[in-house]
Amino acid sequence: MQFPIIVTNTETVPGRQIVEFYGVVTGNSVRAKHVGRDIMAGLKNLVGGELKGYTELLQESRQEAAGRMVEQAQSMGANAVVNLRFATSSIAQGAAELFAYGTAVRVE
Amino acid sequence: MSPESIEVLISLLFPLVLLIGTYLIGTLLERRHFTDLRAREEHFRGFPAITFENLPAGWEATSSDVVQGSVVVSLDYFKRFIAALRALVGGRVKSYEPLLDRARREANLRMIEDATSRGFHAVINVRLETSRMASARGDGKGTAGIEILAYGTAIRLASPPS
Amino acid sequence: MRFTPRLPRDGINVSQEHPLKEATVLIVGLGAVFALLFILLVWLVDIVLLLVPAEAEARVFSSWDLSSLEVLSDDSRQAPVQELVERLAAHWPESPYEFRVEIMPGDEANAMALPGGLILVTEGLLDQVETENELALVMGHELGHFKHRDHIRRLGRVTVLTIGAAVVSSSAARVSLADTVGNLATRSFGRDDEREADRFGLELVQAEFGHVAGAWKFFERLDASALGIDRVAAYLSTHPGNRDRIDDLRALAAARGWPLDGEPVSLALGLR
Repeated sequence: MQFPIIVTNTETVPGRQIVEFYGVVTGNSVRAKHVGRDIMAGLKNLVGGELKGYTELLQESRQEAAGRMVEQAQSMGANAVVNLRFATSSIAQGAAELFAYGTAVRVE
Repeated sequence: MSPESIEVLISLLFPLVLLIGTYLIGTLLERRHFTDLRAREEHFRGFPAITFENLPAGWEATSSDVVQGSVVVSLDYFKRFIAALRALVGGRVKSYEPLLDRARREANLRMIEDATSRGFHAVINVRLETSRMASARGDGKGTAGIEILAYGTAIRLASPPS
Repeated sequence: MRFTPRLPRDGINVSQEHPLKEATVLIVGLGAVFALLFILLVWLVDIVLLLVPAEAEARVFSSWDLSSLEVLSDDSRQAPVQELVERLAAHWPESPYEFRVEIMPGDEANAMALPGGLILVTEGLLDQVETENELALVMGHELGHFKHRDHIRRLGRVTVLTIGAAVVSSSAARVSLADTVGNLATRSFGRDDEREADRFGLELVQAEFGHVAGAWKFFERLDASALGIDRVAAYLSTHPGNRDRIDDLRALAAARGWPLDGEPVSLALGLR
């Protein structure tokens, strides 16, 4: 994952000094799997192992959620997000929400 | 018109009227809630609620307590219908986005309101939890809600921010 | 570390696309896919079912369980209708079926062809026909369905619909829509079959009576009384418009040179 600003999941930015903080920023993305992927995953489920289709789906979704969070931070004039956390939750049958949040800060 | 075709017409019309009705009402309620959220956020804008685990450098706390705010929400009939169709195709389920955004901001504001009403000055280590409540009926139908919980540690500062 | 209160720009976590646009795309797209799927399945089932020889069908369904159907098992009107059907069927010697007539209660005039040679006739139909020739055309029409094996294809369509409805039944709104649209589709599909069945029916009437006079009188009466009377609605809902079919039958009789003048035979004693 690459972002236009610094993102860490620690409270500090190693090598930088946090001078200002603005508040919590969030990003979300809800995705549903499509029938084709579901069928392939169903077959794979028989033998176990990685469900590649789902890995990709959730990864794309997480990327988007984090991207939105960063967009919020940028709209506040921040140049870093610290203490990043991800949460994944099942919202409805076959749909999952990827949620990312952190604190928008300015580092020097 | 035969009674049969009237029956067919009713079975087609009823869901249609329900869809249009819930779309209009749902959109109105959503718009109102967003306006309300924005106003309250402006009001509490000066209240720090952050995800830091420790006190920011230079702050001095006199006391602390856990605070929380939560909300259970569900989609309107129209959006649920769209989401159900979307589930067949896959992809981004846009109808859930405004709902979750509203719910999260509402839970966060309720947490902040809890903290301010008890005389705290800031909330640190804010966490947001999402969980789907199982439907009341076993068959997956019936009313199912999504709960958003916001919680954190509220602190009282020795020298409150002006 | 300084706290500077700022709010993020509004609307980042919400897609700006109008929900009605998404709804339209989804409904139209999925509707088209389901319609295609339905047509494809019906076509496949048609082919598969028609591969089953009529003899095998007659054997399998000969012991059709009537307990699930509401029939009047010892009605005195059954025998004369059965006898008429057998007389008509004699003009179709290669028929693999052994036809069986059963009377159903109900005011609506209707008749149905079911797999295995079973013909259901409602009491309402028997009340409304006035001559044997009229009844013969209706019965001949049902025999026409057996000849073209429409009954087995209808069975296929109903099966596809039932399975389809079960598959998408996770949402109540979708089921009622699928049911309704499906029913309408089945009906319009059947219109050409009905016309073919009419023609075969008239052929049997001509073979039996030597003329076609008075055969479509029943349809003419239905047409005249169609406005405002619900009794005929059931028959009309599964059969083509009477005006069209009468015109079609008249044209067929003219083309084949079947006489339009003759004395209609009155109904058998038990049916009067």
